[in-house]
Amino acid sequence: MAAVTAPADTGTTTPAGATATPAGRRRRRRGPSARDRRDYLVFIALAGPNLVLIALFTYRPLFENIYYSTLNWTLGATTATSVGLANYREFFTSPDAASILTTTAVFTVATVGGSMVLGLMVALVLNRRVRGVGFARAAVFSPFVLSGVGVGLVWLFIFDPVVGVIGALLRAVGRTSPEWFNDPTLTLVMVIIVYVWKNLGYVAVIYLAGLQSINKDLLEAAAIDGAGPRRTFFSIVLPLLSPTTFFVLLTSILNSLQAFDLLRIMNPLGRGTNTLIYEAYLQAFAGSNRVGYSATISTVLFGLLVVLTIVQLVLLERRVHYR
Amino acid sequence: MSQYPFRPAPLSGVGLDRRRFLSLAGLGLSAAALAACSGGPDTSGAGASAATDDTDWSTVRPAAAITFWSSNPGASQAVTQQLIDAYNASQSETKVTLVTAGANYEEIAQKFQTAQAGGGLPDVTIFSDVWWFRYYMQKTIIPLDGLAEAVDMDLGDYRDQFVADYQYEGAQWAIPWARSTPIFYYNKDHWSKAGLEDRAPETWQEFEEWAPKLLAAGTGVQAAFQLPALAGYAGWTFQNNLWGWGGGWGSPDDFDVRCDATESIAALQFLQDAVYKGGWAGVASNSAPNDLTAAAVSATISSTGDLVGIQKSATFPVGAGFLPGGPAETSPVCMTGGAGMGIPKDIPKENQLAAAKFIKFMTEPENAVTFSAATGYIPVRKSADVSQLTATNPLLQIAIDQLEVTRTQDRARVFFPGADQAMANSCANILTQQADVAGEMSALKAALTTIYDRDVKPNL
Repeated sequence: MAAVTAPADTGTTTPAGATATPAGRRRRRRGPSARDRRDYLVFIALAGPNLVLIALFTYRPLFENIYYSTLNWTLGATTATSVGLANYREFFTSPDAASILTTTAVFTVATVGGSMVLGLMVALVLNRRVRGVGFARAAVFSPFVLSGVGVGLVWLFIFDPVVGVIGALLRAVGRTSPEWFNDPTLTLVMVIIVYVWKNLGYVAVIYLAGLQSINKDLLEAAAIDGAGPRRTFFSIVLPLLSPTTFFVLLTSILNSLQAFDLLRIMNPLGRGTNTLIYEAYLQAFAGSNRVGYSATISTVLFGLLVVLTIVQLVLLERRVHYR
Repeated sequence: MSQYPFRPAPLSGVGLDRRRFLSLAGLGLSAAALAACSGGPDTSGAGASAATDDTDWSTVRPAAAITFWSSNPGASQAVTQQLIDAYNASQSETKVTLVTAGANYEEIAQKFQTAQAGGGLPDVTIFSDVWWFRYYMQKTIIPLDGLAEAVDMDLGDYRDQFVADYQYEGAQWAIPWARSTPIFYYNKDHWSKAGLEDRAPETWQEFEEWAPKLLAAGTGVQAAFQLPALAGYAGWTFQNNLWGWGGGWGSPDDFDVRCDATESIAALQFLQDAVYKGGWAGVASNSAPNDLTAAAVSATISSTGDLVGIQKSATFPVGAGFLPGGPAETSPVCMTGGAGMGIPKDIPKENQLAAAKFIKFMTEPENAVTFSAATGYIPVRKSADVSQLTATNPLLQIAIDQLEVTRTQDRARVFFPGADQAMANSCANILTQQADVAGEMSALKAALTTIYDRDVKPNL
């Protein structure tokens, strides 16, 4: 039986000085064609301005922020001193760091979890063909497009124990209002409630789009096979919504970690609601104006966001069903 | 067409070949280069140049246009614009534009400080009592003595207490503008139902005796007295209690921190007991004046800058009086507050001169009265004729009279950056979490000492 051998690499066996074959010439790397150059110019023309803007207004501040995190710099001062990694050491050894990270984690888990669970429930309701569903969808989505500052101010009055609606209702039934603003735990609960209320519509609309893209044949087949609503939801709908869930989870975590407006308006002192981003604000603008230390906290937050995003992309995406 | 609306590209499909690596590296280096080309602070160790006052202002011509940054304290935007219009009409060399640069002293301070780095400085801005000293330490404002002389501004005619608040190292760093003191506000109807004399209590002990009568008077109040919202100015108003008990956050004459002194602890313990043991005091969630005007509480302490607003909102006759004293001191136990007007260093001399002329106009005796009538702030000039003002609003006379018994604030509050926030947090722990007072004050002293060593001492 004849042995099958791989053809010799002509490129390495051609004797020096020998004329290359036409096939060899075809394999030789050619320079960019006129069409390639034209495509490249079109790419530069279309993407170039955006890349410049991103470099100027996203990457430049990012790298500047990392640089500032190595400085002892007071806001407003024209001079600063380099302190290396001292700001990082101070943050990670500060007694406040654990509290800030815990608050950040609680706020993120509660707001993301609350928005997703309630958003999915609302989407399931809005996915039905009933009268007035169009208005209901608009009503659910509308808080998301409102200004966070305006929303915060309105809820400030609603929660006010003395002049607020909630306090008045509770007093009408002989109860007293919780101290939403003076008890740090309740303050965090209050802010979470408002954040979930504001962002519920966004999650619900995304889930609604996901629900409407589910092939009805699958649901009918499940019904024929005797699957009840619960089994259909957990075995058919939820797995098929996994790309949507993945997207919502990713964007909600990023948004929640960067939440600021409601925190600033509803609890300016930050007691109980002092997340990483709010602590960065307090350090730079409300306290000692320590820009360098604030930049350190911002850089820690940036690192956290990068890690979380990579973890989600690498680990969670494996569990996502696209078909 | 995709069945699903969102389909992220799998990360595993992104290969990192040599070309992509070089592209990413290039992008990173470009961004780093951009960062290196950017502005930011000078780290060469040269230090900012000191603000000096050796300009010969007679050789400078005022700028044709200047801006005035205000947070419009005490809802003063309309009256401020009215005064600016009058100034613009009274002369032709400088046109002034009012810029609302924040909703409160903190926001305008943020904007002013970021403008130091980002540009777009105002020509005149308001400085609150806790912010101007930072600008002095950062050397970003100018002393006003030479300018005051150049524009014939008579500093001797400004109320001494207010002028003294902006003096340091023998120089004047701001001119009094929207100045106030806190006063004791009360609901006269509640007082009447409780059978109390129509006056403010002279001491906190006296009010402690009155409180049960107010609570039992059938007015439906939630508290006889409402402590101010702590996120605001706990550090400011509680000086009244600290001084009344013989304590303080610190001292008006030096940088000592005294918040952990026995007297200071006793003063705050009294307030905590009023909330938790006596049950006659509450803590405002957002606005103590709003709680008072809603008749949900019988009394509170707030700025004179809130006077007109309270009178307009209240549906009952409002009473006012001096701040109560304590067991150790009955007078002086009142602090000054509010804002002055100052001038940045890094603007042209022409603008600085025009700014000084504008400040002089805004604080002329008759204009100070106009401003006071609209807001409740105290007229900052001694020669201001307040007879018409007090005839129209007699409660303003109380604020003016109380000026005679004011006391300069503790440096630990007004000169330590971020001290007000630390004080508010400590007070909140004491008054809303029933934290141990001595422990909180000990922690506060440590925090304030750190602030002094880190942010103040090196800049003096």
